Amino acid sequence: MPRTSNHTLNLSRSSFLVAAFIFVSLIGASLPVPLRAEASPQLQSTSTPTPQPTPTFDLQRLEKPVVAPDNSEQLKKGSEIYWGICMACHGDVGQGLTEEWRDAFGTEDRNCWQSECHGPDHPPQGFLIPKDKLAPGVAGSSKLTRFKNAQELHDYILANMPWWDPGQLTTEQTWQVTSYILSLHKVMPDRFELTETNASAIRTQSAVPQPGDDQPALVLLTGILALTGIGMVAQDLRRNRVRPPERPNFVHHLHPPSIPALQARFRYTLGAGGLAVFLCLILLVTGILEMFYYIPVPEHAAVSVEVITSLVPFGALTRNLHFWAAQALMIVVSIHLLRVVLTGAYARHRRLNYLIGLGMLVLVLLLDFTGYVLRWDEGIRWALIVGTNLLKTVPWIGDWLYQLVVGGPEPGLSSLERFYTWHIFVLTLAMIILGGWHIFRVRRDGGVAVPPPDQRKDNVRISRFDLVRREVLVMLIAGVFLLFVSTFFPAPIERPITQAAVDIENARAPWFFLWVQQLLKIGDPFFWGVASPIILLLILGLLPYVLPQTGDNELGGWFPRGNRIAQIIVIAATLLLIILTILSITPTAQL
Amino acid sequence: MKNISRRDFLKLSTNSLLALAGLLGIGGLIRYLSYQADPTPQSEFDIGPAVDYPSNSRTVLAYIPAIIINDEDGLRAISLTCSHLGCAVEQRNFGFECPCHSSRYDLNGVVLKGPAAADLRRLRVVESEDGNLRVFTI
Repeated sequence: MPRTSNHTLNLSRSSFLVAAFIFVSLIGASLPVPLRAEASPQLQSTSTPTPQPTPTFDLQRLEKPVVAPDNSEQLKKGSEIYWGICMACHGDVGQGLTEEWRDAFGTEDRNCWQSECHGPDHPPQGFLIPKDKLAPGVAGSSKLTRFKNAQELHDYILANMPWWDPGQLTTEQTWQVTSYILSLHKVMPDRFELTETNASAIRTQSAVPQPGDDQPALVLLTGILALTGIGMVAQDLRRNRVRPPERPNFVHHLHPPSIPALQARFRYTLGAGGLAVFLCLILLVTGILEMFYYIPVPEHAAVSVEVITSLVPFGALTRNLHFWAAQALMIVVSIHLLRVVLTGAYARHRRLNYLIGLGMLVLVLLLDFTGYVLRWDEGIRWALIVGTNLLKTVPWIGDWLYQLVVGGPEPGLSSLERFYTWHIFVLTLAMIILGGWHIFRVRRDGGVAVPPPDQRKDNVRISRFDLVRREVLVMLIAGVFLLFVSTFFPAPIERPITQAAVDIENARAPWFFLWVQQLLKIGDPFFWGVASPIILLLILGLLPYVLPQTGDNELGGWFPRGNRIAQIIVIAATLLLIILTILSITPTAQL
Repeated sequence: MKNISRRDFLKLSTNSLLALAGLLGIGGLIRYLSYQADPTPQSEFDIGPAVDYPSNSRTVLAYIPAIIINDEDGLRAISLTCSHLGCAVEQRNFGFECPCHSSRYDLNGVVLKGPAAADLRRLRVVESEDGNLRVFTI
């Protein structure tokens, strides 16, 4: 393209374009622009002053892009930013600074690199566009290949764009413009809001299937289950617990033909043991479902979790159920343990089952921690480093333990592989075996602890049909509660772990280990982080072996006299853990 | 031992052999699990020419993580990994603080407040032939 002969005209045209450019940039920056402005043609024409038309000047292509109304607010705002800041160089459809796009500017402004534009003697406010590095296209085939997903594209734009003033866009504005660019590139699902917690799931090189809206189905399911529960309660009230004989089915046969009513009183057992079994079943099913999508490799782990959470139909529900059931299990088994100690139920021949239960408590803690690590996002990074470094502090065998758990010189591919194997197989299998043994021992030991028949105030028995009905009812109530929580409260996920250690946003341990984190602030890591929890566990285990036990006649009720010392110890320990947990989340004054 | 019956002797020997096999199996399992499949992490970092670190500058290099300090005491590198349990420490106006367990260090990495027992590690810095500085983390 030769330089134009009419230099003055050229100059005025370029300064006009610069002025128009700054003008539209300002509009782009002064977000949010009211929606009406887009809809109303008058407003639109005033915001883009009409230049002198030239034969090739394609005015329509320079206008603000029209976005379909059902798109996300984010994408709409992104289209305005793109139009104001990016479009001049990257093209109206993301084609880049091609000849075809430069033609749209009109005859004299086609050559961007000429003098007085982005050439060697550009105006004071102007900037150079290197001719060897044309502003690249951002949409269409074989574009954006250097970015795997929306997160990477966002990070690049945030750090490098706009070309003449990198860092001008806020994170939020960058998400908006990323959203619009990906829609030009035809990989952006409709009505999808990009955030740090789902952007890694949106790939740049192939469109993901449009995620559906799961909430209506969830609300329906929750409602049906709730109605079933209400129906069961109503039936119980009508029949007044007298039932015609039924033939026992498989589930009935898992129970004794009848048990003393004392053993099934809710305010004695709190239903905690049965609830724990139910939660374990939910965890097993949702965990298996997660395995169909989860990829236990560092580069893919957090991304696959984001895929489950934001794209897979009912994936968010599956993961939320798994997460909330795990948190609930932690609480329910703690309550179960407290109940057993505070009612003195672990006396005599039930001591062994108490120890099995403590073993399962350790398994639940390990399962919770390994499951938490499988997220492999920035949120678990420091807990993983601290947790594994704690192993190194164990005298004599520390380095070896570290090697055994981490599987390498530092947490990485091998560690994730190992945590995955522990979580989905070894610990789960151990839990199933110990759980089966625990339930078998309950029955072998004569059921839930109550006084022997001749010392009972009440010798009423309930049939297994009644027992199963009660269990189903409790499961329904717990299921409805879990579904409700999982529909409205998402499980946490943060951005995938990156190499550099920057900006620790979340240095907190998972909530059930916050008390250990607080203890670690005191001093020696081995004593406070490893030995103290083990000592606490040993004390719990020794309770029925060294302290006086509850008398038979006192069983089946809360706070029996024969067991006072153990009750005081356990209540004190519980209070201590709660206080340490509260202390650890109390912000300390910063200098 | 003289009066041991043949039955007891056989029982004892089979049990001992079983125990031995079990011990060997556990030993093999431990060795199996102890193999290190991951490569050793990078311990040598090229941090560019010395002119990038002018006098009276403090430059954080998050990828090591370390801080390069150039002041009246000369140019030196201090690791930003907490000596307590390995979190990355953050800069404060008094020096550094660990976000995990609140250990504090002064501007030169000397412990101000526990639980950390040791100072932040001084890292070896060497100027190589091409004029670039190299930081060694081991």
